[in-house]
Amino acid sequence: MSEQPILELRGVTQEYPLPRRGLLGARPMLKAVDDVDFAVAAGQAVGLVGESGAGKTTLTRMLTGVEQPTSGDVLFEGRNIWTSGQDHWLNFRRSVQVVLQNPRSSLDPRMRVGHSLLEPLRSLGIEGDHRARVAEVLGQVGLDAAALDKFPHQFSGGQLQRIAIARGLMPRPRVLIADEPVSALDVSIQAQVLNLLKSLVTDLGLGLILIAHDLSVVAYTTSAAAVMSGGRVVERGPPLELFRAPQAPETRALVDAVLTVERGLAGKALE
Amino acid sequence: MTEAADIPAAPRRRRKLNVSLAIGLVLTLSFLGIAFVSLFHLPGDPNMPDVRNRLLPFGTPGHLFGTDVLGRDILSQLMMGARTSIMVGVGGASLSLLLGSVLGLWAASAGRVTDETIMRTADILLSIPGIVTALVLAATFGSGAGTTIVALTAFFTPSFVRVIRSAAISVLVEDFVTAARLYGRGRLFILARHVLPNIAGVMIVQFTLYFAAAILVEAGLSYLGVGVNRPSISWGLMLSEAQQQVGVSSPLAMWPGLAIVLVVLGLNLLGDGLRDVMDPKLARRGA
Amino acid sequence: MSEQAIDVRDLVVRAGGLRAVRGVSFAIPPGGRMGLVGESGSGKTLTALSLMGLLPAGLGATGRILHDGADLLTLSDRRFSNRRGRTLSMIFQDPLSALNPVQRVGEQIASVIRRHTGAGRQAAMAQVVDLAAQMKLPRPEEIVRAYPHQLSGGQQQRLMIAMALSCYPQLIIADEPTTALDVTVQREVLRLLSAAVDERGSALLMITHDLPVVAAMCETVAVMYGGTIVEIGPVAEVFRDPRHPYTRGLLDSQPDIDRIAPDGSSRLESIPGMVPPLHALPKGCAFRPRCAFATELCERMPPLEGGARKAACWHPVSGPRGAAP
Repeated sequence: MSEQPILELRGVTQEYPLPRRGLLGARPMLKAVDDVDFAVAAGQAVGLVGESGAGKTTLTRMLTGVEQPTSGDVLFEGRNIWTSGQDHWLNFRRSVQVVLQNPRSSLDPRMRVGHSLLEPLRSLGIEGDHRARVAEVLGQVGLDAAALDKFPHQFSGGQLQRIAIARGLMPRPRVLIADEPVSALDVSIQAQVLNLLKSLVTDLGLGLILIAHDLSVVAYTTSAAAVMSGGRVVERGPPLELFRAPQAPETRALVDAVLTVERGLAGKALE
Repeated sequence: MTEAADIPAAPRRRRKLNVSLAIGLVLTLSFLGIAFVSLFHLPGDPNMPDVRNRLLPFGTPGHLFGTDVLGRDILSQLMMGARTSIMVGVGGASLSLLLGSVLGLWAASAGRVTDETIMRTADILLSIPGIVTALVLAATFGSGAGTTIVALTAFFTPSFVRVIRSAAISVLVEDFVTAARLYGRGRLFILARHVLPNIAGVMIVQFTLYFAAAILVEAGLSYLGVGVNRPSISWGLMLSEAQQQVGVSSPLAMWPGLAIVLVVLGLNLLGDGLRDVMDPKLARRGA
Repeated sequence: MSEQAIDVRDLVVRAGGLRAVRGVSFAIPPGGRMGLVGESGSGKTLTALSLMGLLPAGLGATGRILHDGADLLTLSDRRFSNRRGRTLSMIFQDPLSALNPVQRVGEQIASVIRRHTGAGRQAAMAQVVDLAAQMKLPRPEEIVRAYPHQLSGGQQQRLMIAMALSCYPQLIIADEPTTALDVTVQREVLRLLSAAVDERGSALLMITHDLPVVAAMCETVAVMYGGTIVEIGPVAEVFRDPRHPYTRGLLDSQPDIDRIAPDGSSRLESIPGMVPPLHALPKGCAFRPRCAFATELCERMPPLEGGARKAACWHPVSGPRGAAP
């Protein structure tokens, strides 16, 4: 964690205008994210936890360059993505990829999987042996080449999520942002996908940002986590410590909310 | 997670779908075929009066469907009318599809201001009765097939804009569009390669339905005398002329009426059949 | 006919030529609580829909579903809907789609009460306010005058529970009642549901994929896979010492916070492969292709055998969890 972060948010704030009340007067502003620092280094998995409405989505939009923050810096390899020119922006675009929540929605139903996998390379103008890259990535996510000629509806949710991860890996990113990657999957499949993400971090030295509402998913996958509430980071630390000794009331609420089989059987889950 | 995926599709109404599609196809293809034949061969001259052979009945040798009050061959007129219907229907439906697609996609993907501007304009246009537009156009530019197509386009485009926009929005909120933006695809690429293929089914279905509507509207306009005029012939025009003979020779009005009913029914069945076949939700389950 | 709150015997649901639910039997005693656990394609949702008489058109159920002296599968639509909300009621995953968007929530609940008890408008409304207060909704008099979209997901679901419980039903069927809710809200809703069910002495059937929820809420559990129950029994026994390899696999797949190594070295046990689609179910035990213990014997369908707890497996595993290779 002493390493130089690859992707970093420094003092980032994002405000959205709310509808005006009355004709006159200033537009009230909603602070969706309020002065947040957040960073991920190579080979590190960082978790971002919080309830819906905590600001996770807005933070993700800034990490991926979809939105420019009202104030504060989004740094990729130490330089601001919004002010460092076209080359740096392109480099950032290649190096930060996402995996989204719903695997059924994240692949174009009318596009063959092989085509979908090549899209990032074509879009980003990456040269090289695309076929070899596809084969390599398919191996990394544990799918075979027969998948390439099929359409998304021919796969199960877990397989689709692997394909979505494969697409994210195609341009050799340095950071993968996974937004609730398992919450739409069956339980027995969730473990497969979490294990896969975990091994990508260790094997490829990928930086992983895992966004989830479930603290136990984050605790299993990451070594550091930030808890968000009301647009602010209210607590950070190793997830197991957050779990065992939550300091902020918001963290405590999240910890208390975690149901486990053992606690349930002990009759303590709903106390 | 488990909601819809858990429920297997009900046994598909394959046979019913196919019946609707098949009847629609047969009717539509015969319609297209007849119009095609009319380009090369007509049994008689549809505009040549023949006072000795006025109001011949159905089945007369040389005049299979008989003749009208001026002795003109009915079958030839019907065949000419099919040609006009296709010209006006395809013209009106494709122009409004084209315009509607461009505007609908633009509204769906541009910012809120553009969206609001386009959609409110469409609302205003929708509130103007089509017949008024047609009358104004006919008064200004003279009536005829061209004017009718323009009137139809003005009349249909707002509906197309609405349908295309809402279909496009439902694609644009999908995660694969978000993903495409994140690996750097621009708006035009996303619209062309992701949105269009996914709404093609909707567009085709809309096209067939509005093709049918265009034929109906054209018949109405011609009946009122602001559509097609001789020497062009349309089924609406035939109806209008036959009206004076109702009571004298009722089948005169029956033939063009029957033609309109069959063609419109055929296109609507085709559209419904296509809608069921091309619905991506059904296709997804059908695997 | 039956003294159980519900007694399902050999339920089969056919979809086209395929059997989506392949002979499911279970019973819940009055006031009992059972969890029906399974993944997508397991048949749990269709089982639940059969119980509610809400199977999609084209699907047919056979077998017997005994409840309150009648076989639900033979009831006419009219007589069935006369029961819904009165002797048996349901809570759905998505409260917003289960509520009428253009009617105030209080009136919707009141109409259920009036229909089944014949109470007057005023009396019914007073009951609704009481129910809302029991569901710990703030300012209940105002909340019952809201339209569904004006409420949060948690509030909607609490009102759904209030509506389901309004007529003291013998059985409540809850289909993924908290899946759509935020984690912190989930616990509160479960707690309220639990208390309300207890107070009325209703039986509860929880349909869910979420094992911790079942552990917290239920006394018995039935695990479904490939359209059949593969294991059934008291929750504590089944979850602590699962016999069926699938049950064990599900339990081992849980990212259980109490079992995570702090150095990040822990890996979740995962079940290889995927849930087979209905049209490609293997012969015999449906779990066979994913099972480490499968042998030729498993090509024959194993019977669901045992006493209070049963497992349908030729090679049942045993011993406490965590010892898996």
